[in-house]
Amino acid sequence: MSLRITVCCFLVLLLAGCQGTAERPVMKIGYMNCNSEAETLARFRPLTKYLSDKLEIDFQAIPVDTQDFPERFAAGEFDFTHTNSLVYVIMRENQQLELVATEMRGNYGSRTAGAIIAKKGSGIETLQDIKGKRMIFGPQLAPSGFLAQYDLMLREGIDPEQDIAYYAIPSGSFKHEKVVYAVYFGDFDVAAAPALDLELMTKDGKITADDFVILGQSPIFPYCTFGARNDLDPALIKRFQQALVDLTDADTVDYQGETLKVLASAWIDGFETLQDSDYDYIREMAKRANMPPYQEF
Amino acid sequence: MKDRFDILLGVLLLACAVAVVGLLAGTGSQASQRDLAVDKALEQEIAYQAKVSFLERVYAPVLELRQQGQNESALLKLDELSRKYPTEAHGELLRGEILLQLGAKQKAISHLARAVRMNGDYVDRYSPLSRRELIDPLLARELADVKRQSAENPDSRPLKATLKDLYYLQGRMAGGCE
Repeated sequence: MSLRITVCCFLVLLLAGCQGTAERPVMKIGYMNCNSEAETLARFRPLTKYLSDKLEIDFQAIPVDTQDFPERFAAGEFDFTHTNSLVYVIMRENQQLELVATEMRGNYGSRTAGAIIAKKGSGIETLQDIKGKRMIFGPQLAPSGFLAQYDLMLREGIDPEQDIAYYAIPSGSFKHEKVVYAVYFGDFDVAAAPALDLELMTKDGKITADDFVILGQSPIFPYCTFGARNDLDPALIKRFQQALVDLTDADTVDYQGETLKVLASAWIDGFETLQDSDYDYIREMAKRANMPPYQEF
Repeated sequence: MKDRFDILLGVLLLACAVAVVGLLAGTGSQASQRDLAVDKALEQEIAYQAKVSFLERVYAPVLELRQQGQNESALLKLDELSRKYPTEAHGELLRGEILLQLGAKQKAISHLARAVRMNGDYVDRYSPLSRRELIDPLLARELADVKRQSAENPDSRPLKATLKDLYYLQGRMAGGCE
């Protein structure tokens, strides 16, 4: 009798052990680099760990260069994506990426905008004054650092390829801040600055509102966006979406021996569920500016 | 006999004198209390007017930029001022007004509700800070729409938050039972 009990206990323990060591599925989230891989991972690994804990899936955070993102996604490298809204539109048009949630940050929440700025007192007061001037843009696939301003100029009858004396894009990281400083220190006359970066730099005291004239600003459009491969289980996509939209300022994650606030560590205010049609303004801008995914040569 | 009468008369005179003094003292105290109350109301009024004029002075650059049609720069000026006055309701109110004009409705409603939570003067029709003429049409325009959107997207936390803010503004506009 006691032998039977011992064998039963052993089997129970064995089964319990098997259950405990059962491996969780592994999935990859591609995160678009803003400034550097190191910064991207530092921002998004705690959020990734939080999602892993919530969904009981081992998510891996993969930092991805913006230019490479659509191609690597098309090659099936990621299950979920976190990119700017233009790259979302590109992958939506080409690979039918599913919209999951939109990030909220700054004054406009889940939206953002692109501004064209000049230094106050430079004599440049209106958009028409930028003709023949030196201009600096953000990276080409940045909706609020390039596309919005390029489109704004076209709508104002200014051809960026013809009417500007010269335009450039800074190299390396922190491009959005660099364009602001380029105008501040007089290397360029005009800059394409994201409204969010102007806001953050002002809040940080790096610049003041009186330093610049905002010559024009685009309408607001969706900010950075989470997407999912369209062949994933819809129930999984829904759980992923719910985990994001349920996040509050108070939610924490245990990460590398520390308890971190999930949203704060990712520099995010929260998430919102938008409709794909909310991205139509980006599509219109991309068409007018002959930009991907509608580019024609 | 005469002495008794004199004593009685003296006692009566003394009682009258005490009564007169008591009456005068009582009236004086009431008057001084009334004066004090007047002083306090005056002080409150002066303090309120000083606050209104202080807010007008601090936020004048924001208003100037808005009058010039430079809402985006006005928003940056508010970001700058929020470093110095991070908990001032008037900054919240102006941010809400500007964001409303720039089309960021949800954020605008959130800031307007926060401003009213911090300072009820914005829904007081007799206050120089009153913004009833802004909030009333906003409620008429947005409440039904946000209610419908929230019903269509029951998992959307931001829409729920916006709806809650609108209901709060509606409640404050209606006022209490006082």
